[in-house]
Amino acid sequence: MPHEVIMPALGMAQDTGLIVAWHKSPGDTVNIGDVLFEVETDKATMEVEAQSEGFITQIRHYAGDDVPVGEVIAVIDESTEAVHTDETPTGTSAPAVEVPKGAEVIMPALGMAQDTGVIVAWHKAPGDPVTASDILFEVETDKATMEVEAGRDGYVAALLVEAGEEAPVGDAIAVIAAEKPANAVQLSRHVQSAAAAKPAEMPEARPESTQDAAPTKIAEPAIVAEGSKILASPKARRLAQKQGLDLNRLVKAGVPQPFHVSDLETLKALPDEKTASATATLHISARADAHGFAAFADRLAEKGAATGVVWAAFAAASLRATEANGGIVVRLENPLLGQSALFNDPDQTPLSAVAPCEAGAPRIILRDLTASRITGLSLTCGDTPVLTVTRDAKGYHLALDFTETQLPGDAAIRLIEGVAARLDEPSRHLL
Amino acid sequence: MREITLSQAVNEALAEEMRRDDTVFIIGEDVAEAGTPFKVLSGLVEEFGTERVLDTPIAEPGFMGIAVGAAMTGTRPVVDLMFGDFIYLVMDQLCNQAAKTHYMSGGKLNVPLVLRTNLGATRRSAAQHSQSLHALVAHIPGLKVALPSSAFEAKGLMKTAIRDDNPVVIFEDKLMYNDKAAVPEEEYLIPFGEAKVLREGSDITLIGTSSMVQVCQKAAELLSAQGISAEVIDPRTIVPLDEATLLGSAKKTSRVIVVDEGHQSFGITGEIASRINEKAFYHLDAPVLRMGAMDVPVPFSPALEDLTVPTPEGVVANARKLVAGEMLHAA
Amino acid sequence: MSRAKKKHNAEDYLRMYRQMVRIRTFEDNANQLYLSAKMPGLTHMYSGEEAVAVGICEALRPTDRITSTHRGHGHCVAKGAEFKQMFCELLGKEEGYCRGKGGSMHIADQSNGNLGANAIVGGSMGIATGSAFSAKMLGRNEVTVCFFGDGATAQGLLYEVMNMAALWKLPVIYACENNGYSEYTRTAEIAAGSITARAEAFGIEAHKVDGQDVLAVNELTRKLVERCRKGEGPFFMELETYRYHGHHVGDINREYYRSKEEERDWKENRDPIIRFRAWLAAEGIATEDEIEAMNAEIKDDAAAAVEYALNAKYPAASEVDMHVFTDVKHVMA
Repeated sequence: MPHEVIMPALGMAQDTGLIVAWHKSPGDTVNIGDVLFEVETDKATMEVEAQSEGFITQIRHYAGDDVPVGEVIAVIDESTEAVHTDETPTGTSAPAVEVPKGAEVIMPALGMAQDTGVIVAWHKAPGDPVTASDILFEVETDKATMEVEAGRDGYVAALLVEAGEEAPVGDAIAVIAAEKPANAVQLSRHVQSAAAAKPAEMPEARPESTQDAAPTKIAEPAIVAEGSKILASPKARRLAQKQGLDLNRLVKAGVPQPFHVSDLETLKALPDEKTASATATLHISARADAHGFAAFADRLAEKGAATGVVWAAFAAASLRATEANGGIVVRLENPLLGQSALFNDPDQTPLSAVAPCEAGAPRIILRDLTASRITGLSLTCGDTPVLTVTRDAKGYHLALDFTETQLPGDAAIRLIEGVAARLDEPSRHLL
Repeated sequence: MREITLSQAVNEALAEEMRRDDTVFIIGEDVAEAGTPFKVLSGLVEEFGTERVLDTPIAEPGFMGIAVGAAMTGTRPVVDLMFGDFIYLVMDQLCNQAAKTHYMSGGKLNVPLVLRTNLGATRRSAAQHSQSLHALVAHIPGLKVALPSSAFEAKGLMKTAIRDDNPVVIFEDKLMYNDKAAVPEEEYLIPFGEAKVLREGSDITLIGTSSMVQVCQKAAELLSAQGISAEVIDPRTIVPLDEATLLGSAKKTSRVIVVDEGHQSFGITGEIASRINEKAFYHLDAPVLRMGAMDVPVPFSPALEDLTVPTPEGVVANARKLVAGEMLHAA
Repeated sequence: MSRAKKKHNAEDYLRMYRQMVRIRTFEDNANQLYLSAKMPGLTHMYSGEEAVAVGICEALRPTDRITSTHRGHGHCVAKGAEFKQMFCELLGKEEGYCRGKGGSMHIADQSNGNLGANAIVGGSMGIATGSAFSAKMLGRNEVTVCFFGDGATAQGLLYEVMNMAALWKLPVIYACENNGYSEYTRTAEIAAGSITARAEAFGIEAHKVDGQDVLAVNELTRKLVERCRKGEGPFFMELETYRYHGHHVGDINREYYRSKEEERDWKENRDPIIRFRAWLAAEGIATEDEIEAMNAEIKDDAAAAVEYALNAKYPAASEVDMHVFTDVKHVMA
C-alpha cells in the first residue's frame, strides 16, 4: 500500500511548511527513520523522517515550496513501479498528467497581507503564443482585481490553475515554454491535491432551541417620536401600544419623562385629539335682504303667525333640505328678553298653526338678536348648532356656529344658504 | 416549633447525614475537637470519630484535592474551609478538577463533594476574612452554589447538598451562626433550584441572598409602613437558579432590586438583573437595580466597613425611587 | 537488566513486552495523525517512557487506581485501555473514552481504575491521595499510583498531600517519572537538591529506579504495592527515564535545551523495548519470529483502530451541554 508523506504540523500555530531540501529523490530506497526532507516553519528548520519503508515513487512538492499542512508531498511505495521522475513542481496526483517544461509563472504577491490569489480569468489558452507584455491572466486578491502580464515571450505550455481557483502566493500557476509545446495542458488545483483522506463529517451547527428559532416579531410599539426619543419604561411602552395610546401626547401635555405605567392614566384622561378637532366650533355667516321678508311678515302677522315662528320654520326646512332625517325640533331664543320656545317640525305645519311644544332635544337653535344693536358674532356652540340672526340698516345678518360632528361643513353651508334664501324670497318657502 | 441557631442546624444536618450514610466524612482545619472557630461542628468527632471528622494540616489545596479524589472513588466528603476568603487557595482543585471531572470524563466519573464555607462582612475582620466570593464559583460550569438565609434553610440545603452527586459549594453567613429560626425536629430536605417567596407584594420585588434576605425583609416592613407593597424572594441556590419564580415576580410587580453581599461589579446581582432584563423586559416599569457590596476591599474600621454592604435603609431609599418613577441615572 | 524471577511466567513477560510495544505503536500513530493534521489540538508523546507505565501498571489490579498526566497515553494503555476508544478520543469522536470531551490530555479508561489524565501539572496529586484515602476509609485494600513528572515536583500541592498521606498512612505510591526535562528546561535547573529526599522529609520511603528497565520497575512496584496493601504506605518512586519527543509534538527545535547526541544515546542504548526484547530472546521466552509477529499484529491493530476512528462519528451537537451535572441532562435547555 502506498504511504503518503504529508506536510507535518510542527509548530503550535503553523499552517504551512517550507520545504528547504529533499534528502531523497524519486526511485530512492527509504527506511523508517531516514531523513526525507527538511522543512522550515516560522520557528525552526527540522528534518522529517520516513514513517514507512519502500521507494520514493513520487515527489509532489520540491525545495522552495511552501506547502499547507496536511497536503501530500511525496509517496513511498513498496515497489519502484510507480516512480515518477517528473521534475516539475506541480504536484500532479495519479494518473499523472505530464506538464511540459518551461519557465514557471508564479502567483504574485500583490497585497501587503495577501496569502493567496484567485484566478479570475486566463487571457491565454494552453498552446497560445505570448509575448512578455501580453496580459496572461487576471487575479483577484481581497483588495482588487489586477491584470498580470506574461513577463516573458514564448508559448503557454501549461495552465496549472483553473479560472475561479485560488492559489497560494508563490505557487507556480502556469508554465511558459520557449518552443511551442506538443502537449500543452490545462490543470486544476483540485486534481493536484485531491489525495487527502476524507475526514468524517463534522457535526452540523447546533440547532437553536425552538424558542430561539425564527425570531418572531416582537410587538414592541412603534411609537413615532416627534423630534426626539421618548423616555418610557418598557412596560409603559408595551401597555401604551396594546391600548392604542400615543405617548407623544404625554410629551405635548408636558408630563415629565420618563413615563411609567402610572402616566398612562394621565394619558387616558387627556381629551381625545380627534374629538377636540371635531368639537372645535366653526362659523359661517351670510346676509339677506330685509325688504322681501318685511312684506311677507306683515301678511303673516295678519294671519296670527309670529316672525320668530316663521324663522323657525325656515330653519327647519333648510336643515331638512340638507338631508337631515327624522323630526326636527327648533329652539327659538331671544337672550335679551330671556325667552325661549321649542317647535317640533315647524316647517311641516301651516305657519299660522305652528305652536310651541313642551319638550324635545333641539337640532338647531335659532337666536333672534334682530332687536339688539349687535351686528355680528362668533360664539362657541354647545351641543347644538346655533343660527343667530341680527339686523342692520342693509338687512339681516346670519351667523351659524356649529361643530363638525353636529353638521358636516357642506351641510352647514347649505343650511345657512337655505335660510338666507328664504329670507330674501320668503314666498319660495310657501312653494 | 422549636428554634435553633444556624450553627446547630448545620451541625444537625451533618450528623443526620453521617448517620444515614457511612461514606460521608468531614475534612478540614480544626474540625474535630475544636469544632471549627465558629464551633459549628462541636460534638461531631465524639460521635463519628477522627476517621470521619478529619483534622488536616493548614493546607487548603491539599485537603481540597484529597476530597476531590475521595469523592471520585466512593465517598462523600464535606470539606470545611474555615473562611470563604481561602477559596482562592483551592481554586485549581475546585474549578479545574472537581467542576470539570464529570464533563471531561464524558459523564463517567462523579464528584459528590460539598465545600462548606462562609461569607459576610461587618465582623471587623478586614479584607482577608470578610469576603463574599460565591460569584467566583457560580461562574464555573459544573459547580452548584447554595446560599442559606436562615437556620431552616441551612439544614435543608446542607442535607440536599450532601446527597447531590455533583460538587456543591455552600456559603453560610458567618454573622448568622447564632441567629435562631424555627426548624422542625423531623427530617426535611430543601430541593435545589426552588426559590422561596417570603413575602408577597405588588409594587416591587426584592430579591435577596443569604443574609441579604433579612435586609430585604426588614426593608419590606419599612416600605409597607410607607404604603409600598414589596415582595421578598430568596433564590436559595444561585446554581441552579429558579428563574421562573424570579421572572414571575418581576412581571407581577414590574420593579426589582437584587441585593447580594458579593461585590456589585460582575456579580450575582448583575447576573440576576440581566436575566430579568432579558426575559421580562416588556414587563418592567423601572430599571432592575443591583445592590451589592461596594467595589472595595473590605475595610477594618467599623466606620468604613458598615458603608460597604447593603442596608435595609438603602434598599428602602432605592425602592421608593423606583416606585416613584424617578430617573435613577439621568443621562 | 533484572534477572527473571521464578514467579513470573512467560505470559507475564510477553504481556509486558506487548504493552510496551502497544504504547510505542499508539504514540507513533498518534504522532502521524497529528503531523498529518488529522488530529485536532495538542499532544504529548510518551515514547521512550514505556517501561515506567508498564512496569508499574503490570503490578496493579484493575481495581487499583492511577492518576495520569498530560503525557498520559502510556498510562492509559498500560492500565488496560483499548486502541479503538483511545484513537476515537484523540480525534474527538463520540466513541472515545470521554465521548470526545477530553481529548489527548484527559484520555482515560475509567472502567480500569484510571481516574483521568490531568492537564494541570501536578493537578492530580490530591486526587490520587484522596483515592487512597477513600480506599482506606472504605476498607477496600486498593492501591493508588500517582503518576507525575519531575516538573511537577515544583508544585506545592505535592508536599501538602505527601504530608497528609504520611500522617494518615495512605496506600498511595507517588511515581515521579523523571525524564530529565521540565517542559523545555533541564530539570537540574528547576529542582534543587534530591527529589527522593523530598519524600523522605515526610518520612516516606523513597526509591530510585532505572525507568528504562521494565523488570526493575515492575519488581519494585510489586513490593511496594504489596506493602501498601498491608498499610505500610505511602511510598515514593523516582523513575529515571527519557522522552524521545519534545515536550509536545510541535516542540521540534530542541537543541537549545538538549542535544541530538543525547537523544540518540537514549534511543540506541537505553530503549526499554529494545532491551527487553533482547532479554526475552536471550532467556528463550520468545523467538525473534514470535516477537516480530507480535509487533506486526499490534501494528495492524493500531492501523485498524486509526482507520476506524477516522471514520467514526463525531458527538452530536446536542452533547455539548450534557455531562455538566449528573442530574441535568442539558444544562443550557
